[in-house]
This record gives sequence, structure tokens and C-alpha cells, in this order.
Amino acid sequence: MSCSHLSTAWSSSALASTSTRRRASTGSSSSLVVRCSLRDLRNRIDSVRNTQKITEAMKLVAAAKVRRAQEAVVSSRPFSEALVEVLYNMNQEIQSEDIDLPLTRQRAVKRVAIVVLTGERGLCGAFNNNVLKKAEARMEDLRQLGVDYTVISVGKKGNAYFQRRDYIPTERFLELAGIPTVKDSQAICDLIYSLFVAEEVDKVELVYSKFVNLVRSDPIIQTLLPMSPKGEICDVNGICVDATEDELFKLTTKEGKLTVEREKIKIEMQPFSPVVQFEQDPVQILDALLPLYLNSQILRALQESLASELAARMSAMSSATDNAIDLRKNLSMVYNRRRQAKITGEILEIVAGADALSG
Amino acid sequence: MKLNLYVLTPKRIIWDCEVKEIILSTNSGQIGVLPNHAPINTAVDMGPLRIRLLNDQWLTAVLWSGFARIVNNEIIILGNDAELGSDIDPEEAQKALEIAEANLSKAEGTKDLGEAKLALRRARIRIEAVNWIPPSN
Repeated sequence: MSCSHLSTAWSSSALASTSTRRRASTGSSSSLVVRCSLRDLRNRIDSVRNTQKITEAMKLVAAAKVRRAQEAVVSSRPFSEALVEVLYNMNQEIQSEDIDLPLTRQRAVKRVAIVVLTGERGLCGAFNNNVLKKAEARMEDLRQLGVDYTVISVGKKGNAYFQRRDYIPTERFLELAGIPTVKDSQAICDLIYSLFVAEEVDKVELVYSKFVNLVRSDPIIQTLLPMSPKGEICDVNGICVDATEDELFKLTTKEGKLTVEREKIKIEMQPFSPVVQFEQDPVQILDALLPLYLNSQILRALQESLASELAARMSAMSSATDNAIDLRKNLSMVYNRRRQAKITGEILEIVAGADALSG
Repeated sequence: MKLNLYVLTPKRIIWDCEVKEIILSTNSGQIGVLPNHAPINTAVDMGPLRIRLLNDQWLTAVLWSGFARIVNNEIIILGNDAELGSDIDPEEAQKALEIAEANLSKAEGTKDLGEAKLALRRARIRIEAVNWIPPSN
């Protein structure tokens, strides 16, 4: 029942368009040409109103979920703080020792595993595409370097993308449900651990969206394995990011609008005590500690990725709502004009008829 | 003298309270920790964690491997997952044990066998944690 004679500017693309396109289309609203019956126009207005309601609801749902995702991050903070502190102290204590661990072993890179974190659903703007583009770019780089690679895809959207492309070698497709838990990160952790230890791959990289704020998230690549024995986070170029600085994002309301504050927290390091003994061999202890660290890294990335996805959905849905409101306004204007014109026409006819009878 | 015990997992804080004594399953066997223990780092094996509260009552928790650090009467236990004994349902644990035993007898291939053995071990530890009778003193 849709009104197919509307000018192209008002086709379905107007709903999904970005704000710039919206501005362009509102500019041309005065020259809006509608060629369809009044009834069709009314239906069209109704359907736009429904769409607006749906997108509005989706926006609110995403906002509520961002808050829950944030709670998950907050509740894992004591753990990650203690972990970083313990790792820091361990480093101080074992610096003199020669440690050889499977997780830290640097090998000549022949094959790389790329873990790609995408979302479970669409309708979140360019979120999934940005991550996949970044992954594609990385794969192209590796191809040019002559390095073999394999993909571990996490998230339905990424799975669909890689399943359609047979030429990309994939190791495993994983899916998540709801807020990421330790179990989810453990599954990924176990997989890359066994791949790395079995020497099937010599390096594991993680591609995900880092949450910057509600309107921005950056797709980034992070090296997971081999780990540096000091437990530092490295980017692809091996530049170390300070692990002791942790960031926390906070969703707050400011003048009725949702905003995000990103707090940087420097974890206080206790003065280290040199008398700490090792109950077991330091290698054994690091062997217990590093998987914990790897796991918390992955969990963190999953949480960031989810927060970015929800934020992206929020802004996509809010611009979709704005577009729907604009569209409805313009369509109602056209509708009212046409209705008025029709009524005027009818009155004219009646008056003319009356005139003809009396005259 | 008291000990500050923190059991932390990524999901939540399992324990954050003062205690009198704990018995911890480490990779090299169980160790008892009393106040003024020598500062140590240790890897924690999967197994029960016994906690003696300030009122001399004993509590049990289950740790699924991790790491512990004891410095200045402060015990930090980090693990991916942990359960309090009171959260474990004895009947369910018993059922899980039976399933695990059945799976082990069916398992073929090293990978399956390894997984089945691990599941059985987990089930046994749960049972052990639930049925443990604290020492009377």
C-alpha cells in the first residue's frame, strides 16, 4: 500500500540516510512532488509514523543496554585492577630470572590468526562495516607481506560476512548472546591458546571497536599473542600501551541528553616488597597468571565492542527518528495542502452549481 | 590478628571480608594460611577453598584455578570463576557427577577423554565442597 509515486528523494533511503543527506533533502522539501491519491498519502504518513515509533523505541532500548554493559565493565574492575597490580609486582620480582613461557615465545611469523569482533545485529550504522573494513585492510597487508592468515569471527554479522566469502580462510565462527561473560571470553581464549601452543599460528591479533564516546568508536588492532612477559598491551607495531592506565566510560545524563564521560584512572601501585617468595616455580605461577590476563583482555575487548555497537545503534536510531519526523512533517504538509485544495474545489463546484440553479 | 581475604573474578567480587584462617589448594598441594603468613605468590589449582570466619565457623568455596598473593595479611585470589559452597545445589552436583562418569566411560579419543576427565574432576570437587564436614575444635 505504499505510495510509489513519491519523488525519489522520499524513497526509503531517506529514512536510513545520514544527517547530511537529510539536510539536503529538507532543503528540497518545497519542491516536493507527490503524485498519488490522498488515501495513499495518508497510508504513507501512517507508515512513517510507525517507523518513527519503532526507531525511537530501539534507541531507548540501546540506551538502556549501554547502561547495563557499563555495569558489567564496572563489576569487572576490581578484578582487572588487582590483576594489573599483581602482574606489575610479579614483573619487579622476576626481572632477574630467565623465563621461557609458551605464551610469550616470539616465533618467525608464518601464519596469523585474526580475531574479528562484530555485533550480533544490524541497524547500527557503519559499526560492523568499520570493523570488517579494518580486518580486510589488515588481511591485505598480510597478503602483501606473504604471511598466511586465518580468521576467527565472533558475532553474527561477521560470521555472515565471512561465510559469504569463501576465499577468506576461517578457523571458527562464534556467537555471543547478550552481555559478554567470562565463558564467552574463555571460549575464544581456549581456541587461540590451543592454536598458538600447537604452533598452527605464530601470532594472534584482535580487531575490535574501541569505545571512544557515544558517537565515536575506533576500530583498532591489538596483538594478543605472543604476550610480552611483562603483561603490556601492544598494538600491531609492537608499541606498548601502558597497562596500568585504565579507562572507564560513564553514561550520564546532562540536561536531559545522554552523554558519556570517559575517566582515566591511574592504578596506584603499592611499593613492592622484595621479600615475596614463590610457592612454585615462577614459570608455573606466570603460567597461571597470563591466561587470566589474556582472558581479561578479551573480555574487556568484548565489552568495549558491545558498548560501541549499542552506542552506534543509539545514534543511528536517533538520526532515523529525526529523519522520520522530518519526512512526516513534509508529507503532512503536502497532504493538508491537497486536502484543502480538494475542499476548495468542492466548495467552488457547489457554489457554481447553486449559482447555475438560482441564475 | 585477622586476614583480609579478597576473592575476585571478572564477573564479581566473590569474597571481600576479614577471616581467621583459610586452606587453599595450590598447585603444590593444600596450604593453610594463618595471620602473619610469609609473603608468597602461588598458582591456585582447581579445588576447594576453606574459610574460617571470625566466629570460627567454616565455609567452603570452589576455585577453578587462578592465582593467589599473600602479602601483609592480605590475601588476593584471582580466578576466572569461583563459587561459594552455599550456592551449589547438592542434588544437582550429584547428578552432574553421574553424567560426568557416564561421559567418561563413553569418551573416545584423547581430546574427548581429556574433557571428560576434567568434567569429572570438576564434579568431584563440587561434591567434595558440599559434603565437607568442618573440623570440630
